[in-house]
Amino acid sequence: MTMNRAPNPLIDALAEELVPVKPMTMRGGMAAVAVAVAVTLVLVELFHGMWQDAFAGAATPFFWVTNGLLAVLGLASATSVVRIAGPRVGNRHEAPQWALAAVVVLPLAAIAALLLGHSDESPLADRYGLECAQLSLAFSLVIAGTLVLWLRRGAPVSLAVAGFHTGLAAGALGAAAYGLSCPLTGETHLGIWHVVPVFAMALAGRFAVPHLVRW
Amino acid sequence: MIADEPTLARLMAQSQAGDRQAYTVLLTEAQLWLERYFRRRVAPAQMDDLVQEVLMALHHKRATWDSSRAFLPWLAAIARYRWVDHLRRVYRNEEEALGDHDAAEESEEEAVLARMSLERLFVHLPDKQVEAIELVKIEGLSIAEASHRTGQSESAVKVNIHRGLRKLAALIEKAE
Repeated sequence: MTMNRAPNPLIDALAEELVPVKPMTMRGGMAAVAVAVAVTLVLVELFHGMWQDAFAGAATPFFWVTNGLLAVLGLASATSVVRIAGPRVGNRHEAPQWALAAVVVLPLAAIAALLLGHSDESPLADRYGLECAQLSLAFSLVIAGTLVLWLRRGAPVSLAVAGFHTGLAAGALGAAAYGLSCPLTGETHLGIWHVVPVFAMALAGRFAVPHLVRW
Repeated sequence: MIADEPTLARLMAQSQAGDRQAYTVLLTEAQLWLERYFRRRVAPAQMDDLVQEVLMALHHKRATWDSSRAFLPWLAAIARYRWVDHLRRVYRNEEEALGDHDAAEESEEEAVLARMSLERLFVHLPDKQVEAIELVKIEGLSIAEASHRTGQSESAVKVNIHRGLRKLAALIEKAE
């Protein structure tokens, strides 16, 4: 199978220092994401408290649609990041794009409602808007850190995509987790202030994460 | 003859478990495969260094291969990543060495082979970016020479190389 040729000292040296390794699997990566999401939910409960009335039927459908879409976007993006850590020619990382397109509908719907006069809650007059955006960002950090650590262990070769999807995953899952504690259910509040942090994290991830995971 | 995909995958699984004999065979086979893979993509004088780099990367990142997936697409992705990185470094070195035109000339045949081998990834790039990368990175022309040859300004050559390499980096997993 192997041609006769001069031995390569590097191969002998690498074989000499070989130790067993635990392969990085999709299951392992998704388990790490699940733990990070669970920790985030616990932090939301500890520092902010879940909105219990939402589970008793007080929340509007838009509340569940928003948080549900954010959760789907976060899950799709986190799955993509876990997969990116194991490179492969032929990999496609397109699922988050479609989930992102669905989430973009939320601010568009909020703006349309404002312009068409179906809503009178201006996002600029929303006294809790900025606070919600900041808290969403804060609660995305555990997930962002987990994904960056996973990528650093891995061998990502699509660095820009890895960064963008890390930001999307952390931003969306953080916003969804925090969203369960927010009792404001208007489409403008949810569609603008709970979604903008996702875009902010995606941009931050796109430019910051490649520097952290380059190898 | 280089080992087939199932054999390489089996050797890699054994290597992940710590089997040094299997690992030695795997690395030797990977070396042969990489030499063939890079043959028309880098200058012969730089081949050994690049192959060694990929073998080191294989070693350090061996845990990232998932035994439920094929081995060669994993190795090829790492090889492309290191290749693009290699092109970037060559560019930087040439930038620092502008004015030094004493580099040994490669045969035209080697240059042509190198150019052809890159076409698979280059089909996704605009012609001007391909032209700039081919002349400077594959044929070894200086920025000024490439500018004169193409009619692009020196700044345009630099920008086209920079943008082309960025696109190549984004195509590592996509271009099949």
